[in-house]
Amino acid sequence: METTTLSRSPLAATARPLAAVRRVAGRWGLIAALAALPVYYGISDLTNGYQAGLVAGHAVIHHDLSKLGFNFAEGLSNGAIWALIAIGYTLVYGIIELINFAHGDVFMIGSFSAVGLWAVLGLGLTTSTLGLAGGLLVTLIIAMIVTGSLNVLIERVAYRPLRSAPKLAALITAVGFSFILQNVGLLWRGGSPQSVPDLIHAQQTVFTIGGVPILRGYILAFAVMIPLVFLLTWFISRTRAGRAMRATAQDPEAARLMGIDVNKTISLTFLLGGMLAGAAGLVYALYETNVWYFQGFKAGLIAFTAAVMGGIGNVRGAVLGGLIIGVIQSLADSRMGPQWTEAVVFGYLIAIMVLRPRGLLGEETREAG
Amino acid sequence: MSKLGARLRSWQAAAQRRLPRRRSRALAGALIVIGIVLPFLFSPSSGFINATIIAVAYAVMSLGLNVVVGFAGLLDLGYVAFYALGAYALGWLGSGFFFKAKIHALVSPVASTLPGVHLNFILILIGAALICAAAGTVIGLPTLRLRGDYIAIVTLAFGEIIGTLAVNGQSIHVGGGMTLTAGNLGISAVDAPYFPGIGSFNLLNLRPWYWLIFAILLVVLFVNLRLRDSRLGRAWIALREDEVAAVSMGIPLVKTKLFAYAIGAAFGGMSGAFFGAYYTTVNAGQFQFGFSIFILAMVIIGGIGSIWGAVVGGLALGYINNYLIPDVLNDLPSHLGFNFQLTQVEFGIFGFLLVIMMVLRPQGLIPERRRQLELTAEIAPVDAQLAEAPGTPGGAA
Amino acid sequence: MSPAGTPPPPAALRAEHVTKTFGGLVAVSDISFDVPQHSIVSLIGPNGAGKTTLFNMLTGLYRPSEGKILLGGRDITRARPDLITRYGVARTFQNIRLFGAMTAVENVMVGHHSQMRAGLFGSIFRPPRVRREEVKTRERARELLAYVGLREPSFDRLASQLPYGDQRRVEIARALASEPTVLLLDEPTAGMNPRESQALAEFMRALRDDLKLTILLIEHDMKVVMGVSERVTVLDYGKKIAEGEPAEVRADPGVIEAYLGKQAS
Repeated sequence: METTTLSRSPLAATARPLAAVRRVAGRWGLIAALAALPVYYGISDLTNGYQAGLVAGHAVIHHDLSKLGFNFAEGLSNGAIWALIAIGYTLVYGIIELINFAHGDVFMIGSFSAVGLWAVLGLGLTTSTLGLAGGLLVTLIIAMIVTGSLNVLIERVAYRPLRSAPKLAALITAVGFSFILQNVGLLWRGGSPQSVPDLIHAQQTVFTIGGVPILRGYILAFAVMIPLVFLLTWFISRTRAGRAMRATAQDPEAARLMGIDVNKTISLTFLLGGMLAGAAGLVYALYETNVWYFQGFKAGLIAFTAAVMGGIGNVRGAVLGGLIIGVIQSLADSRMGPQWTEAVVFGYLIAIMVLRPRGLLGEETREAG
Repeated sequence: MSKLGARLRSWQAAAQRRLPRRRSRALAGALIVIGIVLPFLFSPSSGFINATIIAVAYAVMSLGLNVVVGFAGLLDLGYVAFYALGAYALGWLGSGFFFKAKIHALVSPVASTLPGVHLNFILILIGAALICAAAGTVIGLPTLRLRGDYIAIVTLAFGEIIGTLAVNGQSIHVGGGMTLTAGNLGISAVDAPYFPGIGSFNLLNLRPWYWLIFAILLVVLFVNLRLRDSRLGRAWIALREDEVAAVSMGIPLVKTKLFAYAIGAAFGGMSGAFFGAYYTTVNAGQFQFGFSIFILAMVIIGGIGSIWGAVVGGLALGYINNYLIPDVLNDLPSHLGFNFQLTQVEFGIFGFLLVIMMVLRPQGLIPERRRQLELTAEIAPVDAQLAEAPGTPGGAA
Repeated sequence: MSPAGTPPPPAALRAEHVTKTFGGLVAVSDISFDVPQHSIVSLIGPNGAGKTTLFNMLTGLYRPSEGKILLGGRDITRARPDLITRYGVARTFQNIRLFGAMTAVENVMVGHHSQMRAGLFGSIFRPPRVRREEVKTRERARELLAYVGLREPSFDRLASQLPYGDQRRVEIARALASEPTVLLLDEPTAGMNPRESQALAEFMRALRDDLKLTILLIEHDMKVVMGVSERVTVLDYGKKIAEGEPAEVRADPGVIEAYLGKQAS
């Protein structure tokens, strides 16, 4: 059976009508398609204006880029959360070419665990700032350990035994695990979104840039994402274990021959990806102030779209993709209505998969052996 | 006459070479008879017959997905889209939803006076099949050059998009004050099936419903069995096994894959139309991603690529989901001291079944005869020097 | 030989200045060669010389970055692989690629796909024409399997369970099932002992003479190459470095260096 590792089937080279479109489209086409929304709405805001509120029954129309700025601020912050989750997808796919379908639900478990830990630690709205900071740090660490271990467990139980089986088997097992985790969430906190204490007052404006309020939640998202991403990229590029990850991602057989423990490396990859998902889970809980057993499925698809958009297998790509998707979501939410956002995001996903599966920063993955 | 005799002889020789069929033919015949007679063993409004009707309808869906996933090897995670489109085909073609239209064809005397589009149920089934075949082709097109896991994601995305369209359809206007769907409110007054001489179906007597879906199952089974042992069926399996080799042998990639999507979708659509009529409503809340996984579980657990496996999987999970869990075992956890009901862990149970199946018995309950050996046994191409009996390759020329 | 005064028939298969690059890597560079009708031509060269890449271009799996490929005068450079098979090119693979989940007979029947006409409705309703076609195809498959020397009990065994040598045979039968005019064999004697290789060489001659096929093969077994080929083309690092009758090529210093040079280093 063909074991090509190109991101498309080896017959993609013979696709004729689409090939021409792809050549023209390319990376700049993708960038243009992504930029289309903000550019369009930016121009529309400046020329036609947008309604910024009601004063005494009259609509107040502004002609500036504040609303677009808000879309970016909110979008990038949401995107930071997606970026953390997307990294998990991209790392796992890069190393074993599997879409870890359960990853989004690991994120959900992270949120749930975080919220549970708040109760255990007695964190509430009346906790002192110092106590809150300490408590949240503890929560972050523990949540990351929980989700990291969960991800490693899933790999051990579900994926490793099936590594030589057809890809279909592993994918289905992943889906099965996703369902199991969702049911755990369902039993844990019920079927409806559950609001949680707004511990950091996420909606409070810290300062304003050009008319765009910068909320505490935004700062939180970046305050968590940026250091973690730096730590991860440092780890991957500077440590021996990180080099092992890169080597295994490039060529597992060669890595094995060099003495790298491929199994341990794969487990490590799952651990790191899971930990980031846990961090994302905590941020999500603090930012959205509610949790839901179904949030993982939704977030998973969005984060996977981000990973693909940025270039599957590429960490910087995952971050970039996450941020971009966040902005697109915000635009769709506020301009088209939230009932269309999902369709817009998935429309982009399909378009990318068809026209430029390697995304923005990706290369064609390793050649067939 | 001698030509006929020669043909018969060659058929007989071919039959003798194949695995013994007589036993399975007799078994199939017996099952059909049991299937037809079953409703008489229960009351016309029996809960068991209700569950059976749903289970058989699921089996039809399962057969449809089996064509896509099992025969052609295309992992479709958005199959709920065809359930939705089939149900909406009923909503559009068998109710007063498009109230500006006045089209009637072989419907009950009552329905032929109502505004809207009212077609005979068989026509609706055909319409659902055609709509879904077209949709399947559209959904399949972007996936043609993609690898397996990417196909899964793209089809999933399409499934979600169709779900979104279903929900938002009440704000999509198609002219004359009519909308595309009724969103979460649902299209409610859908026609019950009506056949001249039999009358309209109603939910107090489940037997006609049962025979209708059983007939649909037989038709779908027939088509499946024919296709599997045909030029097209072989082409699907070849593509599944080794796309590069298949194409090199002259199998047209695009056409063959699109056929798989279209046929699989058509079956799903027919079942969807039936469900719409049986549930008497078509509302967007019925079409969730979980349903796609549910049908996939049927195919997997029954046996990927196996026709009888798909039927067994569909029936089994249908019964478990609609009878065993809610009616029979629902209180089991509370008897064991837990404070939840079994219906609340349905998801998890199916997920668990999927995992267990893949790890322990990936070929499913009833393996496609070939798959069984492929997924479990090792492939052992023996070194030519060791295994070769004396003989020449071209000797028999 | 053609009568004096008439132009020679077009080559069965011809490559004109064919180049293939993958990203920065040049796999095949400016290769031109002919395979005359009803001949057996061997393509040889050290590993990595670009032979299989060339095969893949001839069968439509890769598209040449530059150059043209002609099948009996018809330009097939950009044609889809399944169309090229329809036009009469069949191949086997270096690493056997049978359809493991199907029996030997079914594998060969798949090979006949392009010659069959049953469509969707024909497959479902099986009118007499389709029934006849199925019976004929199945019988033809069995004939071909016998022709390549497979023993009858193996006909209905799963391809994945056949021993290596039999799998090779099934692959050839499958290729023949598409009723080709040109047969491309990728290392057909791999894994065979000398006796079997000679038998295969005779078999190729039979294919050329009885079935009027043109055969292009990639081979490493020099005895087979020298014994069966009318012409040998040598590739090295993606370029053609020699071409001609077997004896000429064997004595060519460039060829010797290409092979020995590799072994020495």
